[in-house]
Amino acid sequence: MTPEREKDILGRLAEGVLNYDEEMVRQAAQEALDEGMDANKAVFDGLVAGMKEAGDLYEKQEYFVPELLMCADALYAGLEILRPHMKSTKEDGGVKGQVVMGVVQGDVHDIGKNLVKIMFEAAGFEVHDLGKDVPLEKFVEEQLKTDSEIVALSAMMTTTMVGMKDVIKAIKEKNPKAKIMIGGAPVTDEIADRFGADGYAKDASNALKEAINMIASLREL
Amino acid sequence: MSMKPRDRVLGLFEGKEVDRMACYSGMGNVTTAGLEQLGYKFAEVHTDPVKMANSAATSYKLFGYECAVVPYDMCVEAEALGCVMNAYEDVAHLLYPTIKEKLIHSPDEMTKVTIPDNIAGRGRFPLVMEAISLLKKDIGDEVAIGSWFLGPFTLAGQLMDLNDLFKLVFKKPNEVNILLDRLADLIITMAARYREAGADYITIREMGAPTDVLSPRSFRQVIKPHLEKIFKNIPSPKILHICGDTNLIIGLMNECGADAISVETKNDLAKSRATIGSEPLLFGHIDGYNVLCNGTPEDVEKAVLASIEGGVDAVWPSCDIWPTAPLENLRAMVDTVKKYGAEKWARKNR
Repeated sequence: MTPEREKDILGRLAEGVLNYDEEMVRQAAQEALDEGMDANKAVFDGLVAGMKEAGDLYEKQEYFVPELLMCADALYAGLEILRPHMKSTKEDGGVKGQVVMGVVQGDVHDIGKNLVKIMFEAAGFEVHDLGKDVPLEKFVEEQLKTDSEIVALSAMMTTTMVGMKDVIKAIKEKNPKAKIMIGGAPVTDEIADRFGADGYAKDASNALKEAINMIASLREL
Repeated sequence: MSMKPRDRVLGLFEGKEVDRMACYSGMGNVTTAGLEQLGYKFAEVHTDPVKMANSAATSYKLFGYECAVVPYDMCVEAEALGCVMNAYEDVAHLLYPTIKEKLIHSPDEMTKVTIPDNIAGRGRFPLVMEAISLLKKDIGDEVAIGSWFLGPFTLAGQLMDLNDLFKLVFKKPNEVNILLDRLADLIITMAARYREAGADYITIREMGAPTDVLSPRSFRQVIKPHLEKIFKNIPSPKILHICGDTNLIIGLMNECGADAISVETKNDLAKSRATIGSEPLLFGHIDGYNVLCNGTPEDVEKAVLASIEGGVDAVWPSCDIWPTAPLENLRAMVDTVKKYGAEKWARKNR
């Protein structure tokens, strides 16, 4: 594949995600496969790059939650085609990661969690999604059962964020090595510190960035 | 001569001269201290009108809050329409009820929702109205009795999957508007009933619509028309509350027809005043968790002063007060308003 052709396909993957054009994404993903592009490259430099740009627009208040959700749908459309062809990260010698994620009990808002989930999936992580309104002990059990490296907790409301503190404490007691990332509208840097989390994401856009960064840094290991 | 809290709260809306700004809320403000004093568990006050009223009265009795507000949870309207609530009775720590079974399961069911004729008799509406009446009898001479509804968009988010709702705002705004218009009717009907039951003021909480979530364009398209309809058709005093980031839409909020706007900590009050001017009533914006729960009384005093100096006309928390907030912090909030609520109130001193 010529560098120009590669650039064209990656560009359309990213643009399709950014403009929530599922058809454009599907077509570009198919062309990528047909013409022998590395599926991992198509995902990271195409789909994920487009999603990252959507996150930047959210931060600038040009995009809002509905737009992000539609971008995520477009990303999924591409991922469905590319994923079966992605090199397993294990064979690659790269990271084989597992993450337990869910929205804490009392909270039924899972949009942020779903956006973060899609990034982890794109990166080839094995995601153990516990869904929403998840009882605290379930996180602890699932982390132990799967021996996941990351536990990602989400809360949309102050009234439920408070429960994260107990989850973090319980997980750290059982397995001090597990990294805990928290996110959601009411969470702040200070609260993440106070609760003993390893990482935090301020809002939907930062959750995406945090996920991307976390994945990126793990990929470099 | 000092005024009664009730006259102070309501007098402002009536354009009367009041001695200082009030310290109250349009949202839940029950405390763990209040619940403990009565020997109630949080999970049980949502389904018992006597316990709901008694617990709501404790904020006035314990720290001089100038109102009493019921209900506490955000499921009342959705339940009356047929959703199922989870009160988390078996959970040891404190949780607010949520909807565990939605009413609308697919986008095409959205426009089929209708408001039953006997809506006031459904779900916990009768219970909430009884609690309002009980509060009115108990402390209604002293403090203002408040109640609230979710705004139509936030209510729609209780009835259906939020992911779907957000995408439909973008893809099919007209169909979203059909549903929201019906929900606005429900709110108008029930606001009148709450007032008959004894509520002195009504707050509409459209917390699903800040710019953390929706664009100003969407706000204009699917939020504002319904809020305008509601405020046109419910009696004063009526307040619009939106939490989250609201500076980009404060002008639009001000056009919705409420008597006052309430904002949370994320709102830059000076910027808001620059947009809407000094005339509209603006309430806010004490962080109900980070300051009232985790802060010291000094932090609370600082936050209250920042709100007053930012140009509010009543000191309100930015959302429900998180119940474990220590009484000393809540007393510091009320005391700071008593101390500075006349001297530093821009409206009074211009």
